Amino acid sequence: MIPAELVSFLESGLSMLVATRDARLSPDATRAVGARVEKGGAELTVFLPSATCAEALANLSDNGRIAVCFSRAADHRSVQVKGHALEVREAAAHERGRVEGYLGALAEAWGFVGLPASATLRLAHWPCHAVRFRVESLFVQTPGPDAGAPLGEVAGRAP
Amino acid sequence: MIRLEELGPCLQGIVPAQIATCGRDGEPNVTYLSQVHYVDPGRVALSCQFFNKTRRNVEENPLASVLLYHPLTFEAYRLRLRFEHAETEGPLFDAMALRIQAIASHTGMTGVFALRSADVYEVLSVERVEGFLLPRDPALEEAAPSLPAGPLTELRGLQVVSDRIARAPDLAALLAGALEALDTMFGFSHAMVLVPAGGEELVAIASHGYGEAGLGARARLGAGIIGCVAQRRRMLRVAGVGAELRYGRAIRERVAASGGGALPPELPLPGLADAQAQLALPLLAGDRLVGVLAFESRDPLCFDDWDEAFLGIVGNQIAAGMDRVQAVAADADGGAPPPRAPPAEGRRRVFCYYCNDDCVFVDGEYLVRNVPGRILWKLLGQHRREGRTEFTNRELRLDPGLGLPPVKDNLESRLILLRRRLQERCPDVRLVPVRRGRFTLQLDCAVSLVEKECG
Repeated sequence: MIPAELVSFLESGLSMLVATRDARLSPDATRAVGARVEKGGAELTVFLPSATCAEALANLSDNGRIAVCFSRAADHRSVQVKGHALEVREAAAHERGRVEGYLGALAEAWGFVGLPASATLRLAHWPCHAVRFRVESLFVQTPGPDAGAPLGEVAGRAP
Repeated sequence: MIRLEELGPCLQGIVPAQIATCGRDGEPNVTYLSQVHYVDPGRVALSCQFFNKTRRNVEENPLASVLLYHPLTFEAYRLRLRFEHAETEGPLFDAMALRIQAIASHTGMTGVFALRSADVYEVLSVERVEGFLLPRDPALEEAAPSLPAGPLTELRGLQVVSDRIARAPDLAALLAGALEALDTMFGFSHAMVLVPAGGEELVAIASHGYGEAGLGARARLGAGIIGCVAQRRRMLRVAGVGAELRYGRAIRERVAASGGGALPPELPLPGLADAQAQLALPLLAGDRLVGVLAFESRDPLCFDDWDEAFLGIVGNQIAAGMDRVQAVAADADGGAPPPRAPPAEGRRRVFCYYCNDDCVFVDGEYLVRNVPGRILWKLLGQHRREGRTEFTNRELRLDPGLGLPPVKDNLESRLILLRRRLQERCPDVRLVPVRRGRFTLQLDCAVSLVEKECG
């Protein structure tokens, strides 16, 4: 379950890394271009660019397991969310605004750490697939001694 | 298949790479990587300091997928890897650990985060991620960087630098000439040479591109990029300094939040506060460290493999040159005692020596400390008592009160530092070389000398 105070963080211009794996446990890394917290934090939808997500989609149709790492460029504050896919579909036209808004926010965030917006805005982002998954575990991923610890175990402190 | 060697810029850590792994239980995991290090055409090494889950996963299931990004074009490349083994000592470990030690010490995190192992992976495949970027929009593109000069130009440039070093009459001319030529011929616009200053300290005795601020810059052995290079006697190149420091600060905040106790302060960068790339190399004469040659740039991609190789050659020449001029200066010492001087006229400057702190102030402002401070105090004292203006390096070497070591005393370096400090803070008082091993004290002001117990 995603706590309420994390929702705006996860839906902001963060770097989003996605891992899936195939039937032989061979992992795949790709990127997402936007996220939406749903069902009061019980579910999360991430948007994967159709141009680069073929392998992730094949893995998700095989076993549904997914991990998404959210990380803020300016201070490396990071959270990893894991779960099982409930639905994979083509993103609807009305969701395009959210994806493009995300990319603009990412370009701004990366601009602060020196990556030119002209490069960030070239990330393929539409059309997309939307992957809705059940949130099963949350981990602190900010580099440091408690990186990888379940979020609940470092309660009282922001990830 | 793309060759790993073609991905050099992607391995500089400017845009962080990401790694996906999967445990035996089938749970995938994804995180950032701080270093992807080229080992050979078929292997890379990943740094392991905190990524515990990744490490546990690859011990259970060795397969990993890594995404790398080109820092200029932002093209993505996928490496399929198989974990081979972890190294906790040896040259690969040392090279990767040095970089982490340098960043850890800059952020006050020495000993808190360190390289636990260099994890070596076999590269199963390298591919460009097709469709990762949209087609270029010319309206958004910036001008492409100019190509580096060809080999003949490089060789001629090296010849100029080498000539300056070989012909320099003394240490100051050698270092100033070499740094200036490196800028003129190759565009290394910010450079400094630091020398051991006794104890754990290094001090800059020559700098280029920093104005007056570069002289006297200090680094502690084992701390920061320069201090680590001096301690380990290995070249170190850090691209994306800003990103590396943010990473160190993130860890610092997590440690502080965990009740990690009082943390040492962050170290400022030695030169440019906004440096994005640094390259530092040890200057070695035999097995002796005679200094550190350090370069900085605001361009994160300023230094690459070529610069390492090229500056390695230049560094060796500078080190040999420094050793040569210092030996010559020591041999040339001696001669007749210097004459008395007429008393100085004009305005008055007050020099104050604080015995307890071993430092000299001029008109209430800090000037210089330790050996250079004691040398200045001796010269000014002899001038007042005996009216002397000419001095020899030899008499300084023979004075036990100055605390110079009996061999390899770096006297030349200390005199350069003193001369530069005077030039900056008190140009009315000058030490002017007259010939090898001999210099005069020139005063355009009257001088008062005051000795105090503490500052």
